[in-house]
Amino acid sequence: MTGLGFVVGVLGVLFLSHAAYSTIQYKNLLKITEDEFSGPPMNVVLELVLGFMFCMHAALSVPGKFQSIHPDSEENRVVSLPANMEFMIFNHRGRAIISEMDMKLKL
Amino acid sequence: MVSKSEEEQLNRLESQVENGGGGAWEYLCLIRKLKIRRSDNVLKYGLTILNDPKKRSSIGNDEWTLYEQVAIAALDCHSYDVAKDCIKVLRKKFPESKRIARLEAMLLEAKGLWEEADKAYSSLLEDNPLDQATHKRRVAMAKAEGDILKAVEWLNKYLEIFMADHEAWRELAEIYVSLQMYKQAAFCYEELILSQPTVPLYHLSYADVLYTLGGLENLQTAKKYYASTIDLTGGKNTRALYGTCLCASAIAQLTKGGRNREDKENQDLHSLAVTALEKDYKKRAPSKLPLLTSTLRSLKLSS
Repeated sequence: MTGLGFVVGVLGVLFLSHAAYSTIQYKNLLKITEDEFSGPPMNVVLELVLGFMFCMHAALSVPGKFQSIHPDSEENRVVSLPANMEFMIFNHRGRAIISEMDMKLKL
Repeated sequence: MVSKSEEEQLNRLESQVENGGGGAWEYLCLIRKLKIRRSDNVLKYGLTILNDPKKRSSIGNDEWTLYEQVAIAALDCHSYDVAKDCIKVLRKKFPESKRIARLEAMLLEAKGLWEEADKAYSSLLEDNPLDQATHKRRVAMAKAEGDILKAVEWLNKYLEIFMADHEAWRELAEIYVSLQMYKQAAFCYEELILSQPTVPLYHLSYADVLYTLGGLENLQTAKKYYASTIDLTGGKNTRALYGTCLCASAIAQLTKGGRNREDKENQDLHSLAVTALEKDYKKRAPSKLPLLTSTLRSLKLSS
């Protein structure tokens, strides 16, 4: 999917640059025939629209899956608050449990 | 805030680390990021990293963060020797640090030497009166000593200066609830909802407090906040669904034969919450379904 999207994106960029090239050529042609520039020709507009669509498709498909922004979605749903670590107190019932693990920091 | 996906990631990493699949450092980082209290695991896996020179050097400068994390976890597990050694290592590296001085005071606190700890905190505060973490430690120490009123007083003083500190507001709210001072607790939860409006659990706690206070007006507000919790969690919060049912039946009892339109709305909400609850139970705990239906029947709206 990503490979296809990438190819489409390259194609879109090529379309856009070709559209730019055609516009410049068209303007040069107008200079020779000494006509007023009223708007780009039809095929250039078509190319622009196609190129735009291709680029947009590539931009949406290449970077991967989008993440939800809704607060109530399955991923973003808040399930618990963090422990209030800065107000942590140490004289809890854990004191009564003698740690069976023999732990030591080697210096 | 711990979201559903983060919780799943944590559980996955935890079982991976427990079964010896590696990833201990990632696990410890996640615990630090989510601010979860798993002191026994932090102590166990943190020490395996710190005691292995190769692993320790691979995490680079984060080594010192890990020493601090393990020191606090060791205090929580009452392994004072480990905590002392960690603090000693840190002290050697950062001889002037105030943060290490706070850790040393915490060691005194954990050992129950309140006066020495208090002296240490006071001298730290003299050097820097705006040291938030030390202020908080003093409040926690008052709580640990059992002097809740002093903790409340200090926390209130602290909040006059640092009004935007939502963790402190939460602590104060929880203390007030434990003292059954619900009006004050409600005020704290209002502050919390103002500062973090998208956290459903604050809405839920606020609704709980209002429901406990009672009275028609409070019950109606509580119902609204239960509803907003349901909205923010996508209907996955069972407590909020139960709260809605309880509020609806309590309101129906108080306004017997009262205004009709609101009565109707109340009933609709109640039946919706009941349906959601039944669906949830059917899916996750089918054996408890009869229990649920009998409980809900006793709550049935009297109309």
